[in-house]
Amino acid sequence: MNEDFSTAVLLMAVGMVTVFVILALIVVFGNWLILIVNKYFPQPVRSVISQADAPSHEIDSKKLAAIVSAVDIVTKGRGKVESVKKVD
Amino acid sequence: MEIFDKLYHMTAFSGLTPGMILMWLIAFVLLFLGVVKGYEPLLLIPIGFGILIANFPLVLSNGMGMGVVPSEEAEGIAHMTIIEIAKEYGIINFLYYLLIKTGFLPPIIFMGVGALTDFGPMLRNLRLAFFGAAAQIGIFTVLFIALATGLFNIKEAASLAIIGGADGPTAIYTTILLAEHLLGPIAIAAYSYMALVPVIIPLVVRLTCNKKELQINMKQQDKLYPSKNEIKNIRAVKIIFPILLTAMIGLIVPSALPLAGMLLFGNLVKEIGTSTDRLSSAASGPILNAATIFLGLSVGATMTANVFLDLQTIGIIVGGFFAFGISVTGGIYAVKIYNLFNKKKINPLIGATGLSAVPMASRVANDIALKNDPGNHLLQYAMASNISGVIGSAVAAGVLITFLG
Repeated sequence: MNEDFSTAVLLMAVGMVTVFVILALIVVFGNWLILIVNKYFPQPVRSVISQADAPSHEIDSKKLAAIVSAVDIVTKGRGKVESVKKVD
Repeated sequence: MEIFDKLYHMTAFSGLTPGMILMWLIAFVLLFLGVVKGYEPLLLIPIGFGILIANFPLVLSNGMGMGVVPSEEAEGIAHMTIIEIAKEYGIINFLYYLLIKTGFLPPIIFMGVGALTDFGPMLRNLRLAFFGAAAQIGIFTVLFIALATGLFNIKEAASLAIIGGADGPTAIYTTILLAEHLLGPIAIAAYSYMALVPVIIPLVVRLTCNKKELQINMKQQDKLYPSKNEIKNIRAVKIIFPILLTAMIGLIVPSALPLAGMLLFGNLVKEIGTSTDRLSSAASGPILNAATIFLGLSVGATMTANVFLDLQTIGIIVGGFFAFGISVTGGIYAVKIYNLFNKKKINPLIGATGLSAVPMASRVANDIALKNDPGNHLLQYAMASNISGVIGSAVAAGVLITFLG
């Protein structure tokens, strides 16, 4: 039983230290990753038509936002919406 | 009269025992909680039903019931082929020995969870990830308590203690490898306490936090002390992050890789987007759903009367509660200590969500914050420590498996 308790002490020390080390590395490497991505792969600012650009009688802001999001997902961020026309 | 006697023996009535009827009652309670109360219905309903079907006598032609037969009770079952197990011991034992005993299903469930998880909140608030580590203290504290009771050996105590990680698949995976015979009660305790997160977290918060602490507004703190690292391409970060983290965990705690690796694979295919959309949909939809059904039914079927009704089960129910409570307390006190040394304060509720019960713990924390200050929406911050808790509990399990497995 004493041997079990000393194993438990060891497990507590190793376990908590390992969990902290892994999460500390996540914090450190996560911050590095963000810095590198910000420096070398920043997302290009995409021009998205605003509500003012779209004829207000044709499409409302919620539908426009949905269309912009859909194009963004399908084209993996490369496409942009320049105009929206209602087709009869 | 003879015909009535034959009819009586044809039915299951002749083989019924009081223990079986008690197990039905436990099954009914779990079904009630899942169906009526809506507590973790996706798991408590299959588990409850699994308990019910496992506790009837004389189901199979060889006179056996449908409950899982522990390998130590059935001589040679460990060396039988899957077809022989199916023929001899029935469909539930087939599922159990094929999918559970091999440790197959928990990582598969983790893959689905990964495909449903968004690491965005954690990446935007990386420093909050530390509180997912602090909340693992319940696991290692209950390891001591369980040993001190004298009811458990160290492998059994570790399997009980992992309930404190508040992660069902992790608890099941660890138990399969360390103390398989306790799988039923440990799975039930883990999922029941996860369902009781809306009760346990408020209870611990009430005992450990004052109103002033609960009113710390995270958004105001962010405005006062803005973060230096604004992410300019979150999509790229989210794709690289799971790959990086897999390599890191694989190098430091390889025994955590079956769980963490599958979680991160599921997350990667989700974050890549349209080109892997089918993989992500399969992982988070049909595969996860099928795995949940088979896991629930098989785990429930391990709970036959002779296995479940003993002193160890009571120890697991009580110990599991302590493991949960101590983990929440550990997270809260880690935040309090952090606040002593930093200008930028953190709401202690963020520490309370260091458990891996995602996203329920975060929702509960958000509700408590809103009760104390209707403008204090801290869900995104709580999710940061909540998600890191998933990684933390998988790593803690990896350490236990490495040393005791």
